Amino acid sequence: MKALMSVVALIGVLGSLMLIGMIFGVVPSNTVRLVEGYMPMQVLSELAIFVAGFTGLSYLANSMGIAFPRFWQGVLFWAFIQAYLKFRIYPPIPFSVRAMYGTVSFVAVFMWVSANEEDWKKFRQPILNVLDANTGFHKALRTMYLILLPILIGGFSFMTMKPNVDEPIELRTVHPAPPASTKVHGKTYTLQTSQNPYRVNLEGKFDQAYSNKLIVEQGMGRLMAPNANPWDDKAEGYLKYVREGGEIFFQNCHFCHGDNLNGRGLHAFAFNPIPANFTDPGTIAQLQETFIFWRVAKGGIGLPNEGFPWASVMPPWEQHLTTDEIWKVILFEYWHTGYYPRTWD
Amino acid sequence: MGSVTRTKLMSVMALCAMIGLLLMPILVAIPALAGDGGAPAAGAKAEGGDAKVEKKVEKGKDVYYKTEGIVSGPPAPKTTDSDKDYPRYNFESRVLLWFANQQHLYYGSFVLAVPIFCMVIEFMGVVTKDKAMAKRYDQLAYDFIKISLTAYSLTAILGGILIFTFLTLYPAFFQYLSGIFRPVMHIYALMFVAESGTLYIYYYGWDKMKEGFLKWIHLSMSVVLNVIGTILMFLANSWIGFMMSPAGVDEQGRYLGNIWHVIHTALWNPLNLHRILGNMAFGGGVVAAYAAYRFLSAKTDEERAHYDWMGYIAMALGVAFLIPLPFAGYWLMREVYAYRQQMGITLMGGLLAWLFIIQATMIGILFLSTNYYLWQALGRMRGAEKYQRYIKYLVFLLTCGFLVFITPHTIVMTPAELKAMGGQQHPVLGNYGVMSAKNGGINVIITTTVLSFVWYMRGNKVSTVSWAKFGNIFMGCFFFFAYLNIILLAIYGYYIPANVRVGLSVPQVATTLSCLFFMFALNSVMMKGAKQMGPIEWGKISARSQYALIMLATAFTWMMGLMGYIRSSVRLFWHVNEIMRDNSPWAYTHTVGFAANMISANVLFFWISIMFVFWLGALAAKKAPVEAKAAVPGRATAPAVGH
Repeated sequence: MKALMSVVALIGVLGSLMLIGMIFGVVPSNTVRLVEGYMPMQVLSELAIFVAGFTGLSYLANSMGIAFPRFWQGVLFWAFIQAYLKFRIYPPIPFSVRAMYGTVSFVAVFMWVSANEEDWKKFRQPILNVLDANTGFHKALRTMYLILLPILIGGFSFMTMKPNVDEPIELRTVHPAPPASTKVHGKTYTLQTSQNPYRVNLEGKFDQAYSNKLIVEQGMGRLMAPNANPWDDKAEGYLKYVREGGEIFFQNCHFCHGDNLNGRGLHAFAFNPIPANFTDPGTIAQLQETFIFWRVAKGGIGLPNEGFPWASVMPPWEQHLTTDEIWKVILFEYWHTGYYPRTWD
Repeated sequence: MGSVTRTKLMSVMALCAMIGLLLMPILVAIPALAGDGGAPAAGAKAEGGDAKVEKKVEKGKDVYYKTEGIVSGPPAPKTTDSDKDYPRYNFESRVLLWFANQQHLYYGSFVLAVPIFCMVIEFMGVVTKDKAMAKRYDQLAYDFIKISLTAYSLTAILGGILIFTFLTLYPAFFQYLSGIFRPVMHIYALMFVAESGTLYIYYYGWDKMKEGFLKWIHLSMSVVLNVIGTILMFLANSWIGFMMSPAGVDEQGRYLGNIWHVIHTALWNPLNLHRILGNMAFGGGVVAAYAAYRFLSAKTDEERAHYDWMGYIAMALGVAFLIPLPFAGYWLMREVYAYRQQMGITLMGGLLAWLFIIQATMIGILFLSTNYYLWQALGRMRGAEKYQRYIKYLVFLLTCGFLVFITPHTIVMTPAELKAMGGQQHPVLGNYGVMSAKNGGINVIITTTVLSFVWYMRGNKVSTVSWAKFGNIFMGCFFFFAYLNIILLAIYGYYIPANVRVGLSVPQVATTLSCLFFMFALNSVMMKGAKQMGPIEWGKISARSQYALIMLATAFTWMMGLMGYIRSSVRLFWHVNEIMRDNSPWAYTHTVGFAANMISANVLFFWISIMFVFWLGALAAKKAPVEAKAAVPGRATAPAVGH
């Protein structure tokens, strides 16, 4: 048991040192890379390893008769979570989310240190010592807090009230609610029921299961499925339409949405926010194909009024592309990213 | 015929009469149902030769069922922003209606939920062999209904205020809605009369019907009471269901003669289920808060023991309904998406998405409070120390689940932060913002809550069955693989089509519920005849636990207000979705901040008023302390065993 705890404690120490290095800029945040496709679980696993490491440290310290006060355990663990979120995860997490995580971790630390009476007594003892001020040291601390706290609160109030020249926070809505139907080139499409006319099998019938088998593999490689190369001269039906969609994409869309459809095209960084990243599981993977059809056809200017401002410079492509071209480009986007359009059956 | 037999006979007759009265409105309404739609049609057929009558019969197509029906009502009024359609005080009418509606709903939920608790607890009292425990259960059920009675009067008063608010501020809309629901409006009113009558007989007949056969009759009355209450709620739900997903009318909003279509809209059943579970969880939370308030203000150990026990029972009942609540919510949302995609997106990905993040936060708080209470409750059992040192791992699991569950898909950020992030979605957090991760998060939270319950149930016991070691290992493995399954399915959800991904929630929920049912059952078998390490010392729980109960109840109240607002505002600028447009000056969606303040104001008002109800309950108890004590000996005696 002791050996196991020593190993996890060592991991905890190494991890902490690395994090401290990141805080002071000695170690870059991406020293241990967050691997694309595995990032969410990697972050949770890293946190679990840290928790195990701290448990190991605590165990070893206790077995050596060095009791680390519960109060400081709680305070430092909370500080660790904040440091991890700010310095380890990149790109930087917006403050609003860090504030939410900070609050939740604060509550979690409170639940941990007050889960039983004994721990709770240990935790609050240093606070009570300062409040009671039975020793000279505690008296000095209490006096210091008495002076520092109003200054801190005053400073905080001052900073909050100070006129700010930063751009205001925007509560943007990522997915605007679509209309029930949309009219493009004189034809009305019901978004709930319309289908991509080019998502067809070899018999020319709509077949999503068939096209699903021919899309590229998800993840970093984005490998093509066997015998499913749209640029093969013999490619027919669905794959041929994907190729045609690809041609349209590279003639019109890739300047902003990028070669890899990740929203990082040649002109992308002229905009804020940059164009939609189709490889992110939160964009086209969440949506029905008809939703994309509506967004492409109507562009930023055709977005509904509620939830303004939209901050989208997407052109209304119905003015430049035919309906068939729009459907084909959508077909290509799903094929290339390896995502399936949302269906409701 | 002896006097006892005569009493029994009279009781049975009274019960039958009550059930008959209960069913009468429905029976009376049946010809009306047929008459509304059928009569003109029948009339038209009978006079088939009369061309003039034939011409008068106009047919319309049901907007939802797509069936044809005979137009039997006027079209939905096309209102204008005028004093005729929207008479007003010098204030936003919508806010006034919001307040009246919310308060009525709070009290309505409470008085519908508490009789169900009474029924369960009274039943437990009747079937318990331990006489002391039976009396305690009976007293508890009585305490519950006593609180409910005062709240019942307030519910009726608030219902009246609500109707007056509708009539005064939204006359055109109310006239239209009451016209559509005309065939069942009187059933609703009669049900209310039946509910009141049954409740008063149930309450005032408590002492007279406390023994033997009469007790069963009394218990049956609680069943009748709850049936009436549930029908009442279903009817009220049909109105909001109609407003969200209208059916039984044509495109102009004209009633087509089939009242069942009007009631049985696309969202009616999911709303019914969600509201039943929600009311129960809310009711449990409010009663638990009442017990916590009484615990914290108790002067004697006896009182503390009683209210500690009462708080625990109320919390356990509330949480029993809280656990399936997210699944019922999931079904509701699925039906919303199936009904109108844009409605679903407005709710969960669009305009109202941030309110859903707040909702997720509240759900997390509910489960965190419950777990915290259970961990505190371990402190009043000797022998539970062995579990307490592992609590930190449960905290970690809960926190991870919670963090994933509340991660927003639509992040609030400054343009500078947006630029630094390099796109609208964060490459790490963006993955937590979608449904697949959230399903994993909430299932981890619920499974951990189940684990906390299992620890609590075995806190002061040591299993004595020969296969105890195997049983413990099996339970450990079961929970381990349950967590693994939930997490792996959440990850797998990213790699499959959306329609299959939605279906993945089924095995995830099944895993969580398997933990709940199998582990509870296995634990009960293992703990049968277990060695007691010490009694449960009722009343010796920390004050923090009681604040957790109050937090639980407050979070329930806030969440109910929030979800009601979300459900209502998803109609955007429609009174009745796609049928009757809201042309008042307030047909816009409030800001998140305003909505949150309004919900908080409603919560505050509810808690101030319910404190008054609690105070009244305490006042009645204070007036006859000696009598009450004499009538129920050992009322506050702590039970030695059992949870």
